[in-house]
Amino acid sequence: MAVFFQQVLNGVILGCIYALIALGLSLIYGILEMANFAHGEFYMLGAFMALFSITTLRVPFFAALLIAMAGMAVFGAIIERIVFRPVVGKPLINSMLISFGLSTALANAALFFFKADPRKIESGLTRIRFRFLGLHLTGERCVILVLSVTLVLFLAWFIQYTTTGKSMRAVAQDRIAAQLAGINVSNIFSITFAIGGALAAAAGTMVGAMFFVSPEMGFTVTLKSCVIVALGGFGKIKGVIFAAILIGLVESLGGGYISYAYKDAYPFLLLILLFILRPEGLMGGKRK
Amino acid sequence: MNKTTRFLFIAVVLAFFYAIPQFFNEPYFLHIFVMSEIYAVLALSLALIVGFSGQVSLGHAAFYGVGAYVSALLSTRLGISFWMSFWLSALFAGLVAYIIGRLVLRLRGHILAITTAFFCVLVGVIMNNWIPVTNGPMGITGIPRPAPINLFGLQLVIESRVHYYYLGLIMASGVMFFLYRIVSSRLGDAMIAVRENEELAQSIGIDIMKIKVFAFTVGGMLAGMAGAFYAHYILFISPVTFTMNESINILVMVIFGGMNTLLGPVFGAICLTILPEFLRMAGELRLVAYGVALVVFIVWLPMGIWGTLRSYLMAKVHIKGKKDNGL
Repeated sequence: MAVFFQQVLNGVILGCIYALIALGLSLIYGILEMANFAHGEFYMLGAFMALFSITTLRVPFFAALLIAMAGMAVFGAIIERIVFRPVVGKPLINSMLISFGLSTALANAALFFFKADPRKIESGLTRIRFRFLGLHLTGERCVILVLSVTLVLFLAWFIQYTTTGKSMRAVAQDRIAAQLAGINVSNIFSITFAIGGALAAAAGTMVGAMFFVSPEMGFTVTLKSCVIVALGGFGKIKGVIFAAILIGLVESLGGGYISYAYKDAYPFLLLILLFILRPEGLMGGKRK
Repeated sequence: MNKTTRFLFIAVVLAFFYAIPQFFNEPYFLHIFVMSEIYAVLALSLALIVGFSGQVSLGHAAFYGVGAYVSALLSTRLGISFWMSFWLSALFAGLVAYIIGRLVLRLRGHILAITTAFFCVLVGVIMNNWIPVTNGPMGITGIPRPAPINLFGLQLVIESRVHYYYLGLIMASGVMFFLYRIVSSRLGDAMIAVRENEELAQSIGIDIMKIKVFAFTVGGMLAGMAGAFYAHYILFISPVTFTMNESINILVMVIFGGMNTLLGPVFGAICLTILPEFLRMAGELRLVAYGVALVVFIVWLPMGIWGTLRSYLMAKVHIKGKKDNGL
């Protein structure tokens, strides 16, 4: 039974990481109406940014986390301006292919400059260990739990109560009406990508501290977060978090009890099952 | 184009492709040409799904892989000749496409793309892990070449690249003709109606699910054919060939040429098989250059090269109200 709960705990932690990435993706989908298949690369670059700020600048782990988030926020905004702005409002296949091109370019540039060998981010938290009701919990995993909850709450507050957040919701509802009401829509687009980049960087840094950092880490994560966004409903924070934790649990429990080799196939089966049983999405409600 | 000019045009094009091996007879060039024929079939079959019926699929490499594996397994394990296994693999890939199509084609847009992408991942996982059948990551070796055929006493052997080139040419032009017939029939009109406006198509009595599944099945079947041809040409297959990146690659070919035409995907397939060979000069940065080129291309020529050219010509010649025959 202890093994079961350990797997559940691991699944929840995995889900928290997925939630951070998928939330950014979901926001981008909701506001720009396009799927960013390069989102996993933001996560990978964020992890490398944190890694290099620790190894070369010798800053403590949390400072590196902040540097990575800030750096990727700026990077995300720049990428939005150069790459994604021209395809806003174009057919979905254009934005899809453009983000695939971006993803290929970024992943291979990272492979060229940073080399393929996996590296670990030294967080200094590995030595802290907790034992709680027979469950093992390392310092990093604790930090992941706390950090993701904090970031998600902060994001929810930001979107709900600040003026920028309200403008973002307005743009998501109706771009033209928002523009008529005097909202600077292109600024909102940049801010959305900045938020997405920062969240992905936070997730990448945490994964880098827990496992390792490598240029190929982005692609599978992109696919999984796409599934999460599809399951949870586009632009719905609660649904996305729920779906992320569900996918984390399915992977962790399925990998532990059914077959580890087939673990990449579970999200697909889940997706198929869901669309057969509940075509309206996990959280119900009509989708556009 | 009236009937005579069209006939002449086709004859000239066929003569051109027939003559190519006379001018480029180095094995390296011939290999690239055979690969462009395989990609032309793949791009055409995907164009039927993405371009004509408007369903964005990222799972096309899965059908390509299913065809390749079925044909390879049938010929290595059961000793069935290529001329049989080719059709059987197409049939099997079509069956898989039909089942998957029935399941996923209710979805639209991004969700459809993501689900089909995951279907590709699923097929890859099975290829890698069902070791007793697929031999896992080691792949299948020792696939026999197509057996010689006896045509009225004329012995046709298929062993050099030139032979494969002509066999591929027959396959590609056959597929082209088949798709041309579909696209210029009422069925093709129904597909375009589904692409342009599903609700409207439904309201005039088109069974949209049937049309979509039909396009998906035919597309999957033709991709399976291309896979069988690939398996018996390279004589070795492994799961790394049939990943999602391959799906994206095929999709890019379709978009590059222009997706709602038939000549466009062929053009895209030829260009994008030859161009990466030039990019080899960039060495390790090859894929970076490819990604950047893709971004630049989508920003500048969103309709594809053939599509842009055609709409430019159309605007110039003022062909209005004339039936668009799909070319």
